[in-house]
Amino acid sequence: MKRSGAKTAVLYALLVLIAMVMVFPLIYSFSSSLRTNEEIFRYISPVSVHTIIPVHATFENYVRVFRDYGFLQPIWNTLAVCFLSVGFGCLINSVAAMAFAMMDFKGKKLIYSVILITFMIPFESISLPMYRITYHLHLLNTFTGIILPGLASGMVLFLFVQFFKDIPKEILEAAIVDGASLRHLFFKIILPMSGAVLVTSALMQFIGQWNSYLWPLLVAQSKSLRLIQTRLTDFNTEEGTEWAAKYAAIMVSAIIPLSLFLPLQKYYIAGVTSGSVKG
Amino acid sequence: MLRVKKPVPYLMISVACILLLVFRVIPLCSSLLGSIYINGAFTWDTFDKLFFHDAIFWKSMGVTLRLNVVLIPVQLVVSLALALLVNHELKGVGAFRTMFMTPFSISGVVNCLIWGMLLAKNNGVVNGLLNSFGLPSQGFWSDKNQAIWCIVAESTWAGTGYWMIFFLSGLKGIDSSIYESAALDGCTPFRRLVSITLPLMKRTVLFVMVANTTANLLMFTPMKTITNGGPMGSTNTLMYEAYKSSFQFNKPARSSAIVTVLLVMIALVCALQFFLMRDRDEARVKKGGAAK
Repeated sequence: MKRSGAKTAVLYALLVLIAMVMVFPLIYSFSSSLRTNEEIFRYISPVSVHTIIPVHATFENYVRVFRDYGFLQPIWNTLAVCFLSVGFGCLINSVAAMAFAMMDFKGKKLIYSVILITFMIPFESISLPMYRITYHLHLLNTFTGIILPGLASGMVLFLFVQFFKDIPKEILEAAIVDGASLRHLFFKIILPMSGAVLVTSALMQFIGQWNSYLWPLLVAQSKSLRLIQTRLTDFNTEEGTEWAAKYAAIMVSAIIPLSLFLPLQKYYIAGVTSGSVKG
Repeated sequence: MLRVKKPVPYLMISVACILLLVFRVIPLCSSLLGSIYINGAFTWDTFDKLFFHDAIFWKSMGVTLRLNVVLIPVQLVVSLALALLVNHELKGVGAFRTMFMTPFSISGVVNCLIWGMLLAKNNGVVNGLLNSFGLPSQGFWSDKNQAIWCIVAESTWAGTGYWMIFFLSGLKGIDSSIYESAALDGCTPFRRLVSITLPLMKRTVLFVMVANTTANLLMFTPMKTITNGGPMGSTNTLMYEAYKSSFQFNKPARSSAIVTVLLVMIALVCALQFFLMRDRDEARVKKGGAAK
């Protein structure tokens, strides 16, 4: 379709305007993380170029976030939780998905539909009874308690099933004729073919786990087990007036999901939309 | 299908199934039963107290409705508009799309802390902007009439990029030749949107409506991190009241009852949305038939 020059200009103007609204809070946070409290407050009103651009840029806030406020341990904790969740999560869901996509068994349809329904249960609505179950399993304040409830996911399982269904049967049959075991089939043939779906599910689980707040808030209350999001809110409560350090802490906790999401966004998009389009 | 010994597939799905059973199905049942099954007997007491002797519950219900009646339509319209905008074939549009999606890849906590400071009464940069234009500072989070709209602003900023993705993938699925024939018939852009685009991506629209309603009715982070339900209970939504009921007031039955009310509300809103969408679709088909 042809478009007039004026219309194109209007479209660009709109895009730029909205992009400014979307990006300004982040740019402003980043710029404030490089300044002292005094400098941030001095240039708030009236607004000038120095509201955004630091006069004396400093990394002091970042040093303080790690040295004085101990953000390193929550970051290690969260990284450990994320990697364990991604590793075990992909394994558990893909093994189950292989059974659903490639094997016949009694009750398959029923079990699969129940699994897909569990994916519709909003986490917030069951978090309180989940807390009680975790308590009765003696898993409060343990890594297991943080990780276990999120491992099996109807969403990730569904992604794997959709992908496995499209793997040509001839390849698998040829391998079986050659005497390959199921384990060999799974690890040496199926998984190496599944790069795209592995990236998608790993990315979704990693970002989801890194950003999760309600569950760590409930089950990981001991200081040594705190994760990044709860550490951040505690910091907000305890040192609410330390804006400069808060901005630095915010940037520290935003940089990991951002640096994963921006380069890998097409995998993420493929993941979240597959349910709504195909399902 | 692969031929394997009988127990093999069951073993393969066992871990996932047990985990989903323990951490999804049982909690859901216990959430639904927790309010009516207390100390080994069924009782209607919890709901009786909640509905007829609990002013805080009703106030909280009012807040939840006020918030969502505005927030859900705003998010849907804005994210659809963004999707339509970035669906244009323009140079560099991909970069804009990425910028629109950036906020949702960051956690809700981070978004809330940022907005907590942007819209702070003292030293907030938005008030700085207002002052620069000669306008007076606003209370924002600390004003009982404004705090709820600050949540609308924060979650619209944070969420629309996410919902936009779904609309965009729906738009991409529409064959563009249909637009060309519509243009030949002199179809206005608005008419084209309502009569062609939206009906053709009905599945996507429905999905986004349902998922968006669910997410917003159960919203928790802004209340926990910024407002604590205040000022004066003006942002004390049902989800936050349920959380407090369970973890601060030690009333798990009341908490379960509130969550059950929320789930029923979600189910009702979703049923309504399904009904509205179906109705419109049939009307359109009938109209088309009559024109022929």
